[in-house]
Amino acid sequence: MSRVFTPSSDDWLRAVRRMVMLVPHTRELGVEVVAAGPDGVRFRLPWRTDLLGDSTRGLVHGGALTMLLDTVCGAAVLPALPSPEVCPTLDLRVDHYRPALEGQAIIAEARAVSVSASVVFTEGLVWQTRSQPVARGIANFVRLGMRNTPPGFAEALFASDDVEEGGHD
Amino acid sequence: MTDVFNRVDISDWLERIPYASYLGISATLDHEQESLLFRLEPFDSNVGNILLPALHGGVVAAFMETAATLDLLRVAHVPTLPRIVDLSIDYLRTARTVPTFAQCDVLREGRRLANVRVSAWQDDSETPIATARLHFVLGKASSYNE
Repeated sequence: MSRVFTPSSDDWLRAVRRMVMLVPHTRELGVEVVAAGPDGVRFRLPWRTDLLGDSTRGLVHGGALTMLLDTVCGAAVLPALPSPEVCPTLDLRVDHYRPALEGQAIIAEARAVSVSASVVFTEGLVWQTRSQPVARGIANFVRLGMRNTPPGFAEALFASDDVEEGGHD
Repeated sequence: MTDVFNRVDISDWLERIPYASYLGISATLDHEQESLLFRLEPFDSNVGNILLPALHGGVVAAFMETAATLDLLRVAHVPTLPRIVDLSIDYLRTARTVPTFAQCDVLREGRRLANVRVSAWQDDSETPIATARLHFVLGKASSYNE
């Protein structure tokens, strides 16, 4: 418990990439982790037609953006904690400023705003063109605490890549 | 009467929503209750946590948004898919990797905006895994030129 380990930005990038790869839905959709650390997390979701919510008008499904915000906000929780804990989503609100359009990658960014003893408060933003935000998300996550976090969770998160190689299919 | 919105209509609309097909969403008309019952398949690709295992919370939200959209089409008879304005979802229980169901209540259908409440459950409709409320802009031909 007293082990002092301050992850570098590379450590966080690797840890969050590992987390995204362990989530079947985001792995299948090809979510890329662009940046990760205590200041925030940024994802990139490459375009694919499966993301459409209205194929007649060429609009992205609002739920795909909600899914991305839930994931990116959840990823922003980890670097905000003293040590990694399992934190499920308590609730999530998404405001859709304008529709996301087909054919373009979707960028999502999130940061932890505040950390209390039981909850982590986060906010996120989605865009395709930086100056034109598509959606905002506000997500709160429950801290299950170290007692409900599997032993070795942090170690597995920050393990060097070669240890994991055998686990890929 | 609900016979206007039959099974064929639902699948026609679903075909225009590729992400809903990707997630494995279907809808059936409950003739007794004259309402739509929505179903989400527990595909491996819908999993968010492999340890529990549990469905991705974002996938559950997308399922509920799709349910609300289609339920609104049934009630409002609009020519285009309603566009989401906002969503608020509360996660009440872990979504296990079994079929998930949803039912909606359109609480208000105004001239331009609608409010829909959605409840999602797995084994028992009295024990929801998530509840959500959503606002939509209705694409009514009379008040919507785009």
